[in-house]
Amino acid sequence: MTRRTNLWSVARALLLWVAALTVTLPLLWVALASFKSPAQLNDPGLVLFAPNLDNWARVLEAGVLDAAGRSAMVATITVAISVVAGSMGAYAISAYKTGGSATRFGILAAQVLPPAVLVFPFLTMAYALRLDTTYIPVIFAHLSFVLPVITWFLIGFFDAVPRSLEEQARVDGFSRFAAFRMVVLPQVLPGIGAAAIFGFTLSWNDMFYGLILAPTQETILPVAIAAFNTFRGVELGAMSAAIIIAVVPVVIASFFIQRRLVQGISGGAVKF
Amino acid sequence: MAEVRFNKVRKKYGSTVIVDDVDIVFPDGSLTVLVGPSGCGKSTSLRMLAGLEEISGGEIMIDGRVINGLEPRDRDIAMVFQNYALYPHLTVLENIAFPLRATKTRRADALRRAQDVADSLGLGALTSRKPKDLSGGQQQRVAIGRAIIRQPAVFLFDEPLSNLDAKLRVETRFELLQIQRRLGITAVYVTHDQEEAMTMSDRMVVMRDGRVAQSGRPDEIYARPNSVFVATFVGSPKMNILSGTIADGAFTSPSGSRIAVGSTPAHDAVILGVRPDDLTLSPSPTGTAKVALVELLGPRAIVHLDASDDRLTSVVDAAALADLPVGALVDLSVRPGALHLFDPASENRLIEV
Repeated sequence: MTRRTNLWSVARALLLWVAALTVTLPLLWVALASFKSPAQLNDPGLVLFAPNLDNWARVLEAGVLDAAGRSAMVATITVAISVVAGSMGAYAISAYKTGGSATRFGILAAQVLPPAVLVFPFLTMAYALRLDTTYIPVIFAHLSFVLPVITWFLIGFFDAVPRSLEEQARVDGFSRFAAFRMVVLPQVLPGIGAAAIFGFTLSWNDMFYGLILAPTQETILPVAIAAFNTFRGVELGAMSAAIIIAVVPVVIASFFIQRRLVQGISGGAVKF
Repeated sequence: MAEVRFNKVRKKYGSTVIVDDVDIVFPDGSLTVLVGPSGCGKSTSLRMLAGLEEISGGEIMIDGRVINGLEPRDRDIAMVFQNYALYPHLTVLENIAFPLRATKTRRADALRRAQDVADSLGLGALTSRKPKDLSGGQQQRVAIGRAIIRQPAVFLFDEPLSNLDAKLRVETRFELLQIQRRLGITAVYVTHDQEEAMTMSDRMVVMRDGRVAQSGRPDEIYARPNSVFVATFVGSPKMNILSGTIADGAFTSPSGSRIAVGSTPAHDAVILGVRPDDLTLSPSPTGTAKVALVELLGPRAIVHLDASDDRLTSVVDAAALADLPVGALVDLSVRPGALHLFDPASENRLIEV
């Protein structure tokens, strides 16, 4: 019995180590590459070397931080809209079964569409409305996938709030909306925090919509990273530095929300 | 202060009728208990009165004003839910003061009044705690405090004691009753527990299958249940029910049980109801019933009897138990005035004989 348990726990630890290394090794390699000279980059196995900051200087000079700032702005606005609309939508689906059982997952149906289907309508509308030099089209495009995901993510959190809380608040003298805002919403704040960070990451990581819809000269981070793939070849060192700039905030954020993240994804998925 | 009136109130979900043309009057200042088995429509009736369920037909009036279309907040009611529905993110004091926020009371005033209410309920030392740090009984008091702070026209209670343990339930029952008496606010109380209904109510409304089976003072209903359902639902231990015939001062069931009923007139076919307290046992070697089991309650005891195929119960003084060992044969008798007779077809009470 104990023998089997030991075997099992060894196997489990092994599996987790393999998974952890699969994720971290490439990141580590990218981090090392960002401190290598072009000559050292030709030796991917090189671990001990004299680091230099040339790549980082190159990246800063290319305006990657500005691009990161613009990405952050786009993601923040996208998330702000998504959280407001998504929390109301999720509560409607959870408490009032709006749209029946179909909407619970149906809300994710748009994810099945390849972004290429949506991007050209967005682009032509952006031109027609003279918005092609703003970030509004990117934000709208990001809303098309961030809003449904945030809504779906929050349904499970709202499911955990007893209906009688809202009813009690309505009897205590408040409108439905006031009851939602003052009593129901505070119960799901941790979930909303996690959803916001999750949504932020989705928007932050998107390259496709940014590439086509963002203003060409002042683009967003993933596009700026891709720009190091020049006609002279890939500037591997600089690109690595830019990738680290993009990844670090996401890693830090995920660390803080990891428990809620699991709760949101499983809570939304388990209940039909 | 207000009288509540149900006029032909109806609730349907699709084609299923939950509450079927119910007429009830809840007198001003009284505590009326809606009682019945689960699914009888009592909670739905309460929720319609609260405004949490739409009314499919008929009218509900508070103080002569039809409130059918009004939002819950415009009905001047307060409600205590079964799970108390305390706001988890607020302290005890903020929970109690919460209804005053809707009335635009100044925060300082609201908190002061909430403190007074908390003190009166013995929660004075707990006001800065969160609900999750309270015991079930304390949570229950907070819910009551939140209900009384606004001095509403009507109190609604939805099985408020069923999450408490038995001892606390009896204590809280008494406290709740005292609060309601002191404030003199009309109260509607829903429970499935007939004992709670009997002990608390000024008026009791027994419901079954979406209809009112009987309403009136609890002692009246206990003394004169108008159907077999009410007779067996109200009172503990349950009333003995037997069908058979009455002739020559005795009731006889088809299986041969025999109960002496004095001067009761003859009936060809009848359902007989006898409360266990009214069933008299006299030991006799030729008795038709046999003592099967005795449950001692203290000064009283429940005696379970096998009478042919019928199982009967009787409540006797513990002092009489010496003559009633298990296996003893007894004769059964009932005073004519303590009999309940029901029509075998309709199961309704027969006109008094």
